[in-house]
Amino acid sequence: MNFEAVIGIEIHVEMKTKSKMFSASPNRFGALPNTLVTPLDMAFPGTMPRLNKQAVINALRVVNALHMEIDHDLYFDRKNYFYADLPKGYQITQDKRPIGKNGYVEIETSHGVKRISIERLHMEEDTCKQLHLASYSLLDYNRAGTPLVEIVSRPEIRNGEEAMKYVAKIREIVIYSLVSDGKMEEGSLRCDVNISLRPAGSDVFGTKVEIKNLNSLSNVQKAIDFEMHRQEKLLLSGQKVEQETRRFDETKKETVLMRKKTDAVDYKYFTEPNLVPVHLSDEFINDAIASCPELADEKLARYTKMGLGKDEALQILDSYDMAMYFDKTLDKGASIKGLWNFLTGDVASYLKKNNLTIKEFNVSPDHLVSLMKIIEKGDVSYPQGRKIFEEMVKNDEDPLMLQEKLGLKQNSNQDEILTLCQTAMKNNPQSIIDYKNGKDRALGFLVGQVMKASKGKANPQMVSKTIKELLDKE
Amino acid sequence: MSYLDKNIVELHNLLVEKKVTPLMLATEAIEKAKKDSNNAFETILEKEALEFAKTLVEPEKDNLFWGIPYVAKDNFSTKDILTTASSNILKDYVPVFDATVIKKLKEAKAVLIGKTTLDELAMGGTGTTGHLGMTYNPYDPEHKYMVGGSSCGSAAAVAGGIVPFALGSDTGDSIRKPASYAGLVGYKPTWGKISRYGLFPFAPSLDHVGFFTRSVLDAAYSLNLLQGKDYNDSTSSFLPNEDNTENINQGIEGMKIAVLKPIINSVHEEVILKAFDKTVEGLREAGATVDYIDFDDDLLNAIYPTYMVISCAEATSNNANLDGIKFGPRIGGENTYQEVMMKARTAGFSELIKRRFVIGSYSLFKDNQKYLFLRAQKARHMIVRKINEVFDTYDAIYLPCVAKVRNPFEGGYSDKLSSTYLVAENHLAIGNFGGLPSISLPIGLDNKFPFDGNLTAKAHEDKKLLRIAYALEKITSLKDLSVEKVVK
Repeated sequence: MNFEAVIGIEIHVEMKTKSKMFSASPNRFGALPNTLVTPLDMAFPGTMPRLNKQAVINALRVVNALHMEIDHDLYFDRKNYFYADLPKGYQITQDKRPIGKNGYVEIETSHGVKRISIERLHMEEDTCKQLHLASYSLLDYNRAGTPLVEIVSRPEIRNGEEAMKYVAKIREIVIYSLVSDGKMEEGSLRCDVNISLRPAGSDVFGTKVEIKNLNSLSNVQKAIDFEMHRQEKLLLSGQKVEQETRRFDETKKETVLMRKKTDAVDYKYFTEPNLVPVHLSDEFINDAIASCPELADEKLARYTKMGLGKDEALQILDSYDMAMYFDKTLDKGASIKGLWNFLTGDVASYLKKNNLTIKEFNVSPDHLVSLMKIIEKGDVSYPQGRKIFEEMVKNDEDPLMLQEKLGLKQNSNQDEILTLCQTAMKNNPQSIIDYKNGKDRALGFLVGQVMKASKGKANPQMVSKTIKELLDKE
Repeated sequence: MSYLDKNIVELHNLLVEKKVTPLMLATEAIEKAKKDSNNAFETILEKEALEFAKTLVEPEKDNLFWGIPYVAKDNFSTKDILTTASSNILKDYVPVFDATVIKKLKEAKAVLIGKTTLDELAMGGTGTTGHLGMTYNPYDPEHKYMVGGSSCGSAAAVAGGIVPFALGSDTGDSIRKPASYAGLVGYKPTWGKISRYGLFPFAPSLDHVGFFTRSVLDAAYSLNLLQGKDYNDSTSSFLPNEDNTENINQGIEGMKIAVLKPIINSVHEEVILKAFDKTVEGLREAGATVDYIDFDDDLLNAIYPTYMVISCAEATSNNANLDGIKFGPRIGGENTYQEVMMKARTAGFSELIKRRFVIGSYSLFKDNQKYLFLRAQKARHMIVRKINEVFDTYDAIYLPCVAKVRNPFEGGYSDKLSSTYLVAENHLAIGNFGGLPSISLPIGLDNKFPFDGNLTAKAHEDKKLLRIAYALEKITSLKDLSVEKVVK
């Protein structure tokens, strides 16, 4: 029997706003435990929430990027449940009226472009972080109140690859819009996957399993592929899929049981009475969207229009920091193709060799552009340029100064080159005969001799041109 | 010489004339508080109050609250001062921040004398459910009658002549009802007019900060001090502040006042009806029109159940933070967080509170919301809409506060739903449903027990309401009441 997987994904994105969702406490990752806390974050009696405007702006940007309908009135609800990591005993969220609904994203899979519908996007606040030790647990309230958006897809995803691509797309959007750093390994983008199998062609849903703690894109794919296989085996052997929550075990590369689902918790939702509904004016919404930094899709369109191939552009856009560096350098007047070559070639291999990221790359866009320019102009040869580059990465010195310091001036003096070429030909008469006999290799040999004689400083294009002219005259 | 049965304005004049000092007032208030036999206090701040009063030397002529002793209900967050909400679950809780109103009073250099008892977590109207036991009515040395609640200690402290001003909170009638039993002016302004930041929430959509005073003019001055937009309370009103004392004595010529017939008809105590009729006459003589108008009985009967459902639902959520992990006694629970929470909450809350939490939770369950919580919200909106229609024609609604002047502890009304006095004893919650300004003030005495009438107006018409109340006060001449004066 053929099965079809029905997969829906809930993604929680921590927003990198200055302060928390409803308190003035700083919102930062990695601080000492319980140092970024106000009375509200610990639910001291009498504290009241105050909505973070930037969080709303951020949410609007994502809503727009996901082609969603925007609710012009903000309502918040309380989701009530008791848990050790939930300071107030309720979470402020948007249950009835999410800020965005009915959107979609397009993903490119190995089977072509697919549109995944998105049911809703809502804002809410994060809980405390728990640290479970042998005989006790510790709570870190730094995370309590961190602004979140939750993005809920419709169950239109069919396999691990699509799921991975979907999460990657959402991640790209939140990163490029500067809403989040999207770090899955630090938990600033977390996804929960709901997955069930049904006979292909059926429109009845099977029993749903939830997979939690997927901390990388590849784990999303692996976990789903494993889980589809697991459920298929169960069903084919006549067993039942149990409704349960599982997590992905990275070492075993399989999903393992966390807990059986009992009756769903009744969250007793009701409207948050301490936040009056906020009306979002058209102006506010338009400003939030218009001021959104350029998204990856927009950059892709721009790069391809400027002459880059699609795959070339995607290679840059794969890393937000690379794209930022790319744009900054373009702004300084680099040619797009030359820049692409340089960044994906020399720069990339340098970074790789030294195990660095583009963020740690020392060379300023200004200096990179001037280096590219002196190479293009022929002031230095490409090998000379490379030498300068090797120096530049140390202290970001001006390539023009380095050129001087290293004595790397390309010789483009016509007379001197002519003399050098004539000498080389005189010293290698056999090469002239070879050339006449149709051995093109001889030309290269002669050019090499000139370059050697000039200690690499002669302009190779000019040398090549001159030798050819001289040979043809013989 | 005793000063503290005077009102704020009188005390201010004495302070400015240097006939009395803040230290003398604070000393007297502390002495009286220590002798209090009505269980009005959770905490008496002898050291803090006297130390602060000592620093107040040069009178501030334009600052009415300079050196005035006051008390606050123990559900206002006070920095470094125990704040219990009269509940065992908070019996050792010392807040780290001041409520906005406390901060404003501190800045005005009013002297906080103590924190007063309340019905546990401000839930209840009897003054009997706090963790320190019953609070008594200072008018009744035999301790047979209630002072009412939930702001019982604040009402008792002002009526007992300990202070001229007390902060309270009002979710159903928790200021305005005890004001009646204590013969005081009890006022809760429009929702949002005074910041709730730092008030322990009971039911935020109904909660109001308010206060007890001895005169309407004092109430107007108090509102002047405490009103205003607060950054920390998103629901606080952004409308400009008014001077609520301006034109307060200009009379009510041409104003229109409504009496809701079904409510006045459900009051049967002769002494109340007599006093009420007399004041109606007075209002008419002062140039106002007073009409007795019809009002839908079903809506009035729905007030109490509506109030119970909404307030309990919100309460169960608001108090979910009191879980034994951050607050409340850690009684045990070595194994799971659930055990910690259950043990703390089981020991920390009284039976009445637990009952209300259960009612609230039950009405919020997904399957019940439609029939309970959402239905109550609908009823609330219907009631408010109908009341606001009254305000299309009338400047205020005037009614007695209570159905009975005195309410005995034994066999008196309780927290349970009952048809006795369902409407007459619960109509004040209308003011909370609609966030309407509402003021209670004495209109009569029954054998040395005072009782109040209540005026309620349209939202944000606090200033007009105070003007009408001021006129009514003039008609009754029942101003500056205290036990000492009335008994004499």
